[in-house]
Formats: sequence, C-alpha cells, structure tokens
Amino acid sequence: MANTQLVVFELAGNEYGFDAFTVNGILRAKKFNIQRIPGLPLYIEGVIQLRGKVSYIFNLKTKLGIEDTAICDESKFIMINIGENVAGCIVDEVTDIVSFDTTNIQLPPAFAQKDAMSYMKGIGRIDDRMVVLLNPEKVICLAECFNIDKINDAVSSLAATNASSF
Amino acid sequence: MELTTEQNNLSNLKLADVLDLEVLQKFQDSFAKGMGVASVTVDKDGVPVTKPSSYTKFCLEHTQSTDSGVKRCAESHRKGGAEAARLGKPVVYECHAGLIDFASPIIIDGHLLGTVLGGQILMAEPDETKYQQVAKELGVNADEYSKEVKNVKILGREQIEEAANVLFIFTNSMSNAAYQKIKLNSVAETLSDSLNQISATMQELAASATTVSENQNNLNNEIKNVDSMTEQINEVMELIKEIADETRLLGLNAAIEAARAGEAGLGFGVVAQEIRKLSDDSKQTVGKIKEFTMLIRKSVDGTVSMGNETLSTVEQQAAAIEEVTASVEEISSMSQQLTNLASLK
Repeated sequence: MANTQLVVFELAGNEYGFDAFTVNGILRAKKFNIQRIPGLPLYIEGVIQLRGKVSYIFNLKTKLGIEDTAICDESKFIMINIGENVAGCIVDEVTDIVSFDTTNIQLPPAFAQKDAMSYMKGIGRIDDRMVVLLNPEKVICLAECFNIDKINDAVSSLAATNASSF
Repeated sequence: MELTTEQNNLSNLKLADVLDLEVLQKFQDSFAKGMGVASVTVDKDGVPVTKPSSYTKFCLEHTQSTDSGVKRCAESHRKGGAEAARLGKPVVYECHAGLIDFASPIIIDGHLLGTVLGGQILMAEPDETKYQQVAKELGVNADEYSKEVKNVKILGREQIEEAANVLFIFTNSMSNAAYQKIKLNSVAETLSDSLNQISATMQELAASATTVSENQNNLNNEIKNVDSMTEQINEVMELIKEIADETRLLGLNAAIEAARAGEAGLGFGVVAQEIRKLSDDSKQTVGKIKEFTMLIRKSVDGTVSMGNETLSTVEQQAAAIEEVTASVEEISSMSQQLTNLASLK
C-alpha cells in the first residue's frame, strides 16, 4: 500500500486529478494574459509569461472533447512539469489536494488502453467521489510544445532585434 | 347703525337698530304737523324713543298734570299698543280721557319692536259733561278741562285710520328693510369668517405639505447615503474576496510543495490545508455579506421609489391646495363686496 498526493480539479462539473509530484504550481487564470499563437492546434490556448519564461497553456476541455467554456473568475492554470519544461492547463477550479491510497485506483479496462484513452491513468475513488486520474505526459503532449527552449531563444532574439532597431 | 350678529337674534333687536331715530323724529314731527295729530314712538316696553310731536295742550297741561293722569295715560297707551300688537295692524281707540288715539305696531317677523302712538283728536263735537266727569276722576279743574277739550281738533274716522296706516306702512317697511340688511350683513360676516378660517387652514396645509416634501427629500438623501455605503462595503468585500482567493492559492501551492517534500512535508501540509479552509470560510462569509448588502440595496431602491411616490403625491396636494386657495381668495373678495353692500346705510 502506497500513498500519493493528488491535485483534484474540476472540468465542467466532473473531477479529475494529477499526481502532485508532476505539478509545478497553481496560478489564477485571470491574473494572466494568454497570447494566442496562430497555427497551433486548437487545444493549445496560447502562451503566457511566467517568471520570465514562456509557457504553453493547454485547453483540457478541448483536448478531452468536453464542451468548452470561457475562462472565469475561479479558473486556474495547473502548471505541469514536462521534462525540463513547464506547461499549463486550464481548469475550472482546483478543488482539493488529497492524500490518496493507490489501492483505491481502478485501472482502465483493457478495452480502453488504446491510444484514444491513453490520457487516463485510472479512476480514483475518494469515498463517494470519483476522480479521473490523468496522465500529464499524455495530456500535455511533448510533441506539441516542441522545443520550448528554442522558442524562448527565438523570442528573446526577436525582442533584442526589435529593441536594437528602435 | 352698528351691526352685530346679536342683532340677528330678534329678541335682542332694538328699535334703534332698524330705524334711524333722527329720521324718525323728523318724519314724525312733519307728519304730526301736516296731519294735525300728536305722535310719539315707544319701544316694546313703552319707553319713548322720540320726543312727542304736536302734543295737545289738553293732554300736556291738563290730563297729565296729575300723577293719576300720567298713570292713566301710560296704561291707556299700553293697552292700545298691546291690542295693535295682538292684531298686527294699527288700531284706533278712545283713550281714558275720551280722546281718539291710534297705535301702529312696528313688527319684524312677528316680533313687536315698538309702537307709534298718536291721535289726541276727536271725531265729533265733545260732550261737556263727559269731560267734567273725567276731570273729577283725574283731580283737575273740570271747567278748564271741559273748556280746553273744545280746542282739540276734530277729524273723520277715515282720516285717523289712514294717518295710522301711513305710520304703519312707513315704519314697518323701513325697519323690515333695515332688518333684512342686518341679516344679510350677518350672513356676509359669517361667510367672511368661514372663508378666513378656510384660508388659514389652507395655509397650514400648504406649510405642512412643504414640510412633508422637505422631510421626504432629506429622507431620500439619507437613503442614498445608505446606498453608497453599501456600495463601499461591496468594494471592501471584493478586496477581502481577492485576499481569500490569493490565500487559497497560497494554501494550494504550499500543499503541493509539502506533497513533494514527502514525509518531511507532512506537518507543513496540515498547515497548508488549514490555510485553505480558512480562506474558503472567508470566501463564504464574503458571499453572505454580499447577499445581505444586495438585500439592503433592494430595500433601499424600494424605499426610494416609495419616497418618490410620496413626493409626487405631496406635489399634487400642494397644487390642489393652491387651486383651492385661489378659489377661496376669489370668494373672499366677493364676500367683501357683499359685506360692503350690506353695510351701506
């Protein structure tokens, strides 16, 4: 029996969870401006600047096929560590951070272990609540935020160029 | 002629109130001289209000030369007057001394105000023996008495009756016209008094309408203050909610850090959870306070709209009062004209 900490959050009234170890931190969505970047997949809302670095913000609802709603007062960005990078995803609200017994996780059935359902690690039960445990590495696909450092470098050099041209 | 409401009461009405005694005296003197009859006017108690006109020597110097004569004359006048009052028209009768007298009543609405007495004449040559008898009764010299009676003027009955009628018509029409004027004046006065009272009441009403209006305006301003204060409370509540949100975020992030620290972070995790609970409580409290302030603003809105209704009602009332006041002023000026008309002699 092993314990893990879950960051539990809401999307359209249902509860989902990330392992706390993968979470870098939580931000209040309304404190940030999301810069949209044309050409990226729809489920990438855009980028924000966090502590001097650019981070991608994923729209989990679009990604998971849930009806999208606008960012509201209580919306949060859950920032996830992906390798050496940090990317965020928009959630309606972070409801809880709970200590969780891993034996309470029911793995997805065999028929759901194909690619389409690979974002799901299983379903966690906390008393009467059911929390869909997400696999951050699948939800926030590395391929999609390819080489963020390179982009960061590009942004910096562009800024430098612009600055010198003035 | 002094006119008071008391004179409107017939029992208090005096002859002098309805007849100008100077005019009456002149009329009576001329009448007496012209007709060759004596005349005097007495009030309802028999007290003379005019000087006697054309009294005969027979009456003045003989009949009334003794106390008994004066008494008998007065009694005779009283009886004649009472009979005239009873009949409501002039009567012609023989006095205690055997002369022909008349009494013409002055009557207003069935009330006797006075009597015009007159006569001291004869309708035929006097019978000497009769006057000698009277002289004995009175205690005067019988020969002189029966001699003096021959100087008394002789008139026909019709002439005497018509003389009495002239006095009757003149005094009664004069006094009745005057009495109507008194009544008119009294009505005009009552009207004027009532109008003054209405006018005063209207002024009070107008003043109180103004007070109500001012109070309501003050009340509205006070209520608007309450509204702006609740607005300020809401602003403070926004700030508190913002702090609660930030605190909650701090708690969440602290919990994540604690989770990552593993065993070492357990204690810190508990603290982080407490922080989150506190911030949740704060947020709920903010929500409740906001509900209350919303209720306050709702009731303030209701109060303001009721206050505005009150204001418009009061304004309508003030306008109505103004209209009534204008009408009352108009009527007052008409009533003044009426009083002036009634006061003319």
